[in-house]
Amino acid sequence: MNLLLSDDYLLQDYPENITNTIRSGHSTCVRFNRRGDFLASGRVDGTVVIWDLETMGVARKLRGHSKNITSLSWSRCGRYLLSACQGWKAILWDLQDGKRLREVRFRAPVYGAELHPWNHLEFAAALFEDQPMLIDIADPADVRYILPSVQKRPNTETDANLREKQAKEDAKHMTTAIVYTATGDHLLAGTTKGRLNILDARTREIIYSEKIASGIITTLRLTESGKELLVNAQDRIIRTFIVPNLSAVDLDPDTIQIPLEHKFQDVVNRLSWNHVAFSSTGEYVAASTYNNHELYIWERGHGSLVRMLEGPKEEQGVIEWHPHRALLAACGLETGRINIWSVTSPQRWSALAPDFVEVEENVEYIEKEDEFDIHPHEEIQKRRLDQEDEDVDVLTVADGGGLGSDVGAFRMPILFNLGESDSEEEFVNVGLGTLRRKSPGDQDEGDMTGEEKGLGKKTSGAGRGRGRRK
Amino acid sequence: MPASEPPSKRRRVHDQSLNSTPRDSSSEEAVPGSPPETTRLTDQNISIRRGPPSSPLLSENKHQSPNPNPGDHRRRYRSSESTSRSRSRSQSSARSRSRSILRSRSRSAPYSHSRSRSGSRSRSASHPRSRSPDLSSSTTPHPTSHAEPDHHHHHRRGKLPLLPNYRSHLLLQGHTAAISQVRISPDGRWIASASADGTAKIWDASTGVHLETLVGHMAGVSCLAWAPDSDTLATGSDDKAIRLWDRVTGSPAHDVAHRDNSSEGMGSVVMKGVAMRAAARRARIGVPGEGVRGGRTGRGPLLGHHNYVYSLAFSPKGNILVSGSYDEAVFLWDVRAGRLMRSLPAHSDPVSGVGFCRDGTLVVSCSTDGLIRVWDTSTGQCLRTLVHEDNPAVANVCFSPNGRFVLAFSLDSSIRLWDYVSGSVKKTYQGHTNKGFSIGGCFGLLTDEDDGMREELPDEEIGSRQRPFIASASEEGDIVMWDVKSKEVIQRIKGVHQGVCFCVDIHGTTMVSAGQDGLIKLFKHRPRNDHPKREDSEANAMGDTDARLGDAPDPTTADEELQRQVEAEAESPGQRVKEEQV
Repeated sequence: MNLLLSDDYLLQDYPENITNTIRSGHSTCVRFNRRGDFLASGRVDGTVVIWDLETMGVARKLRGHSKNITSLSWSRCGRYLLSACQGWKAILWDLQDGKRLREVRFRAPVYGAELHPWNHLEFAAALFEDQPMLIDIADPADVRYILPSVQKRPNTETDANLREKQAKEDAKHMTTAIVYTATGDHLLAGTTKGRLNILDARTREIIYSEKIASGIITTLRLTESGKELLVNAQDRIIRTFIVPNLSAVDLDPDTIQIPLEHKFQDVVNRLSWNHVAFSSTGEYVAASTYNNHELYIWERGHGSLVRMLEGPKEEQGVIEWHPHRALLAACGLETGRINIWSVTSPQRWSALAPDFVEVEENVEYIEKEDEFDIHPHEEIQKRRLDQEDEDVDVLTVADGGGLGSDVGAFRMPILFNLGESDSEEEFVNVGLGTLRRKSPGDQDEGDMTGEEKGLGKKTSGAGRGRGRRK
Repeated sequence: MPASEPPSKRRRVHDQSLNSTPRDSSSEEAVPGSPPETTRLTDQNISIRRGPPSSPLLSENKHQSPNPNPGDHRRRYRSSESTSRSRSRSQSSARSRSRSILRSRSRSAPYSHSRSRSGSRSRSASHPRSRSPDLSSSTTPHPTSHAEPDHHHHHRRGKLPLLPNYRSHLLLQGHTAAISQVRISPDGRWIASASADGTAKIWDASTGVHLETLVGHMAGVSCLAWAPDSDTLATGSDDKAIRLWDRVTGSPAHDVAHRDNSSEGMGSVVMKGVAMRAAARRARIGVPGEGVRGGRTGRGPLLGHHNYVYSLAFSPKGNILVSGSYDEAVFLWDVRAGRLMRSLPAHSDPVSGVGFCRDGTLVVSCSTDGLIRVWDTSTGQCLRTLVHEDNPAVANVCFSPNGRFVLAFSLDSSIRLWDYVSGSVKKTYQGHTNKGFSIGGCFGLLTDEDDGMREELPDEEIGSRQRPFIASASEEGDIVMWDVKSKEVIQRIKGVHQGVCFCVDIHGTTMVSAGQDGLIKLFKHRPRNDHPKREDSEANAMGDTDARLGDAPDPTTADEELQRQVEAEAESPGQRVKEEQV
């Protein structure tokens, strides 16, 4: 509704500067819900915190994991949240009551788990040194399907030795990132060997596979429409691809093509990228840099760098672009703070005094013929009232954006028992009038604090060093 | 001119309404099964949780002489008649404590009309069952019956028009002082009332049973707001605090959090400190279960305003509370943490009304400085300022149901519907009196279903007809309802309250009103085709509101008819209730 009054469309559509910093423990990953009013953050200590972006306050805390949260995924309705952690499990939370709806244990740490875009009782998970899984939790006992990472080879090879060698090779070929397409009919998976696989979610077979990068694929992201794919790999190149309509009726797996659109890289500094994100429309691509403070924003149309966001002197890990605003959230690796970049529109001073107009240059005032005529007060009053013959509609909702209008949508309950507001949790009261700055490790489990420094890098640069972590 | 005065607050209490009203118990039967409230007002026991009975809030002689020297008002508040806009800020401090408790800081001396009216009231109040003679004697045609009804519109498809026909249903008693605001919960099941006696009460909307008395404020409660889930209530008071209450337990909402946390064994040192301070405060003010402002997080009351909290509204999601205060600022609060999120330097006079639009992106505020400002919730920037040429003080404000318009109640006895995008007045509703108090009203909506048309209509047409209207209280104690489009008065209920009627709220077919007399009245819309005789809608002896819509009847007569009907009901409330409960 505020869009009726603002001229925000004149503002640029990518973030400009830090507008907020929020903090609850040491956050390692963040995710916006579809409507963009809540932000989930996963902490090093396994707590999942839901932030209300309108108040920039904590809306809920979910405790159930005990290890670093690696990924978060919202259901379409915003009521369910899937969180996965290094502690070998994933939890589907019901945010209505804050209880866990389902808990799924794996036999390896989870890189990332993503909910089916339309069905919150199905998700795919990429596992550490294990094959990815598709998990159906519609029934009380969950059904797990192991997904392949390597396309089946035509069984033409006769040499047993060669076949054995291939099998060995295939066994080392792992999936590191997996996402659903917009319809949920297919899965896109990135592998340790830089291959992009397309899987049919029903048959759970790879229908297409191509080597798209020379290093481990660490992140796969799709735009809301599902037509553009963003790939971050360890070869220091961010790539965007155009995804064909995989749900077309006459889809022939042999003719699928995933054309490369852009490659973004910093050839001068040879930077590698921690994490990448599409803007709300896919018009921009943002990336956080490894061993560097800046966030890079490229425009996808021309493939040009439009902005380097300066922030706190801290390396940023996971970044997320708001689903419909020019707003970026990123996790600081050292402090675990969530920094939010956005645009600040200037106050229009004429809005405060309706009889003033902001003009660019002087305007010669032309007096109207009857401007200073004096009329009796009653007459003016009567004339005014007579003019009010317009038809007014106070009921019909003319909703432009469609956001916030969906009736019956999930509404997060308002909790009063959240305890200390975490945005200012940085100081601890150690005595009367004495405050101490909280160290980032304070809220972690005892054994987590030690590896604080290295840990941030691990979680962000997904593939890097994963092999050595355990 | 009183129009440019700040609102004199709803709470100017005229004594006679309270204590000299010998209500005979027959009419008190109107409230079934609510023990203390149904008894006589004078020997009331409003709450078990109540503090010492000698509380100054209750001392009745304050009511007895609300305005011993009207000239005094003039001197105090109207030192600068012509430049009343630039009023001195120190006025509030000049107010004595007891006055502020009673919310009687009216700046406008009562204008002559209302005074004569209340005079007649008090006279008639001295004999039992007084209202009918008093009212029937007032046959003066009211000023707004000028607009001719739009026949075609009303008789669309040859059906009876959807007209509000609210009839008095229940009488809720319990407050010992004037009631500043009454609101029906968003789910329509509860009624909350805020009173100058320092308490808020929760009632069952269907039975009228008193459920909770919320005690904790140290001064009169001026405003309240329901959270959209109907489980939390916010009250704002002259003690500068805003309190959030749990509807179910009747205890402070943030205090619940406090207990939960300590049981959870959270922080050791910090929590102990808070708990100790809480205990100390509890002991000091003698209220059990009292929360305390816990340093950064602000448990217990929301503190921050520097002066009386005067208006409140929740965002549609319930996560933000907006408050307007006599300190001329509008505050946005994070409801969960009880934290002040943003303070808007809004006005140059007390903020008399605030409201949220339906998607929560806009906040509107109004003030007695005559400005209505529309704010962006997320940035805190002013997006639009609406000001009428005559610059009357604005006493209340709300968004239209679709959020496209702003309805402003101003102290020149006009209600204006503003299109805030174009910045122009679309409609002006007149016919009530509002010159000195900040009285409230709301939008109402009736559909075919409410009107008992269900049987007559094919299913697909159910709810197809909707009639929005505007209801407002009036300073004579009336309730007036207007058609949104034609601006004509479509129902007027006279003499609902003795003295000023401060607030009206509507939820579907339920309407509730509260006034200076400390009473809450509940009305139910009764479909006109309830009456068998009404089926053939042409002139019949019943002659209620529809009579006006027939072939050009004399509007004055119609009003009198309506009034007589209302009186008839008022005469035997007990019977009516029984009848409806069958």
